Amino acid sequence: MRRVRHRHGLALTVCLISAWLVVDGTATVGPAAAQAPAQQPLPLTLPNKPDSLKFGVIGDFGTGKREQYLLGAQMARVREQFPFTLMLTVGDNLYGGNGPKDFLNKFEKPYKALLDGGVKFYASLGNHDSRQQSAYEPFNMGGRTYYTFKAPKQSVRFFALESSYLDPQQLQWLERELDNSRDDWKIPYFHHPLYSSGGRHGSDLPKRKALEPMFLKHGVSVVFAGHDHLYERVTPQQGIVHFVVGSSGQLRKGNVDKETGFTDAVNALEQAFLAVEIDGDEMYFNAVSRTGKVIDSGLIARPKRK
Amino acid sequence: MIRLFAAALSVASAMAISQTGQAPAKPAPGQPPRVNADALTSVQFTKRIEDYVALHKKLEATLPPRPEHATPQQVDAHAKALSRLIAEARPRAKQGDMLPPDTRAYLRRQIGRGLSGPDAAGIRQSIREDNPGKVRLEVNGRYPDGVPLTTMPAPVLAELPRLPEDVEYRFIADRLILLDVHAQLVVDFMDAAIPK
Repeated sequence: MRRVRHRHGLALTVCLISAWLVVDGTATVGPAAAQAPAQQPLPLTLPNKPDSLKFGVIGDFGTGKREQYLLGAQMARVREQFPFTLMLTVGDNLYGGNGPKDFLNKFEKPYKALLDGGVKFYASLGNHDSRQQSAYEPFNMGGRTYYTFKAPKQSVRFFALESSYLDPQQLQWLERELDNSRDDWKIPYFHHPLYSSGGRHGSDLPKRKALEPMFLKHGVSVVFAGHDHLYERVTPQQGIVHFVVGSSGQLRKGNVDKETGFTDAVNALEQAFLAVEIDGDEMYFNAVSRTGKVIDSGLIARPKRK
Repeated sequence: MIRLFAAALSVASAMAISQTGQAPAKPAPGQPPRVNADALTSVQFTKRIEDYVALHKKLEATLPPRPEHATPQQVDAHAKALSRLIAEARPRAKQGDMLPPDTRAYLRRQIGRGLSGPDAAGIRQSIREDNPGKVRLEVNGRYPDGVPLTTMPAPVLAELPRLPEDVEYRFIADRLILLDVHAQLVVDFMDAAIPK
């Protein structure tokens, strides 16, 4: 029995925004932004237990524009209250180019506070990402376009997939790794969503057909994806909760298909990332916007161990 | 017995090809073909790819090893240096070298098989979705920076010959390209790869 309980629904608590330093009207935000003094605490609803696994999820972020920097600063602010140690990326890590300056301006600068604080990013690749990114050390991909790793705490294993290239080798690898994993939580993350109410892309049915049976067979409870530039939590599909976190860079405002009938929460108006906490059989989540609102929150409970 | 006969035929066919460089003559009317033409085409294509990857690896071994904790500058410089070496090592490479007419016809058929069936519309849609459209391509040229990569649907990849991990198939418009992912180099490409 998997279930999603809504603790606070749409908790729209307005927070004060710190004074951002914007240079030349471009994407540069001063380092002071992440250390703005005398801010009210963010209205997070995560239990923040000492031994839990704490991580974040971002997607479609690598624009280098002001909004990305603002959300990056907000992520650093969240970390002051909720000390997450990992950050998953669901692809489109760098738009427009993949040269050295792109890595600097679209990744290292906006997330400097997190990187300096020791947060480890684990990237997956989107359709805008050069395969060269797999060699970029801060993405922790080990030179592979798809890979798996065990979380440092709790019984959790992540599976980063290359969803634009689901060749037989990758699918066989995934089947094997899911089968080998004895972890309670098996969490795949990748770029193209199996379920999405995004008006631009929407659900990717061929990928759903390729991946969903494996996820069901191996007891996957949660999937993270991106591609559509919005935040969405999908009504559990055959027991699996799908998140779309393509909301961390440039949005397509209002680009939501309201007819899909499977949306539990959606937001295409404000940049957001997901803060997640796993403690035993429970996963808590807060979607936090660039202005510090908690735009979605809840608890996902996986089946109790016998 | 039948298997032995078939194996003998295959060996004989392979010998004939290795000696003449051409596929065996058409069988007499009423006789079964001596080889599976697609299998032969696939094997020959795979061999060309393997030769290319061997060249890639040989040339990459001449470069200073990329540091374990490479900076973006080092990653970029390594890819460009490798790309340059490969291009210099095959100066006369041209479109169709890796994908001659029989291979193109074979790949087109396989892509068509991957695009058939009840899910065909969805699969075609997934190819179209992020397709950047017409982009100028050159054999030995760099895959254009900033141009997104299209999805290669699983049913299509399942029908195409398996590639080593250094090389990928990708669609651009209706072209199929062979992409050296580490050198970010266009190895070859074919037009009109997606059957209507």
